[in-house]
Amino acid sequence: MPKVKVYSTSTCPYCHMAKEFLRQNNVEFEDINVEEDRGAAEEMVRKSGQYGVPVIEVDGEIVVGFDRERLKQLLKI
Amino acid sequence: MAQEIFDVAIIGAGPAGVTAGIYALRYNLKTIVISPNIGGWISKTPVIENWPGVLKISGVELAQRFQEHLRSLQPELVEEKALEIKNEGNIFTIKTEGSSEFKARAIILATGSEKRKLNVPGEQEFLGRGVSYCATCDGPLFRGKRVAVVGGGDSAAVSALMLSEYAEKVYIIVRESEMIAKPARVDQITAKANIEVIYNTTIKEMFGDKMLQGVRLSDGKELEVEGVFVEIGMIPNNKLAKQLGLELDTRGLIVVREDQSTSIEGVFAAGDVSTGSNRFAQIISAAAEGAIAANSVYKSLKS
Repeated sequence: MPKVKVYSTSTCPYCHMAKEFLRQNNVEFEDINVEEDRGAAEEMVRKSGQYGVPVIEVDGEIVVGFDRERLKQLLKI
Repeated sequence: MAQEIFDVAIIGAGPAGVTAGIYALRYNLKTIVISPNIGGWISKTPVIENWPGVLKISGVELAQRFQEHLRSLQPELVEEKALEIKNEGNIFTIKTEGSSEFKARAIILATGSEKRKLNVPGEQEFLGRGVSYCATCDGPLFRGKRVAVVGGGDSAAVSALMLSEYAEKVYIIVRESEMIAKPARVDQITAKANIEVIYNTTIKEMFGDKMLQGVRLSDGKELEVEGVFVEIGMIPNNKLAKQLGLELDTRGLIVVREDQSTSIEGVFAAGDVSTGSNRFAQIISAAAEGAIAANSVYKSLKS
């Protein structure tokens, strides 16, 4: 199983869509709320070089935004 | 095998598209809904307090419920963007970004609108690196930082108030000499110690290194901010309407009649992309227009 992290906020619609997409495809992921965890927010900005959520990390690869096609490719689904 | 021809293809799935879908499916029309974002823009609204029967709900949750309602009726759902549409006699062909093609006898365009951009140097470059069009989405990432909101309307006011909960300082940059937001909102802004409104001013340029560091204003001054939230209104998503050659008004909205029909037979439009409901862009009017459009499709196919 690939290691998947989702950096998100509770109010961000694309975060909800991305997580729903992962669940529908039975992909397990670590859900990181950057609204509550400031350290995680800084980590996300550093890794992705930008402020937008969601940021999804698949085995070290960074995907900015809910990019369905790129996720399918990385997760081989 | 010949390709299936749907009775109606609904493009877009905000309140208008979802409601059109619900009605079309209940009329037993063979329905396909094409949209990369079921629920639509409302999910970017922090809170909705004018949907009857629901005192208060977040945009994300209402969008989720719309989506559940639509899915429960088992429509053919294509979660992709529609890129091209062709009118071939009485049949319309739609091509999506995944290069799939679908055919339908009638079309409901419910493509909504998107945020207007400032079109100043640096805006594109710092998109996501400080420039945002969704305070609801990205606001929490600016905790303790200095940010600016551009615009004087209600969306700008709501965004500024939301940001003031996270940011150290919020500037509101207003082109006019006053804010046109609802008076109650302006009062809330006045009461916030960390919000400062700058009138009669526009942004000329955005600058920074990797990330946004500030903006240059029309009076030549520089403002040090790490975030800029642009809230200067919406523009209709009328690309498909233009491909079809539909009549548009001066703002680019699809001109519709009372029954949501457009200048081309078989094509209907509903929601923020249309001139319907006296151009009142609300969830409830968009939903109503979607219902009327589905009813009109039903009537036209049965006649």
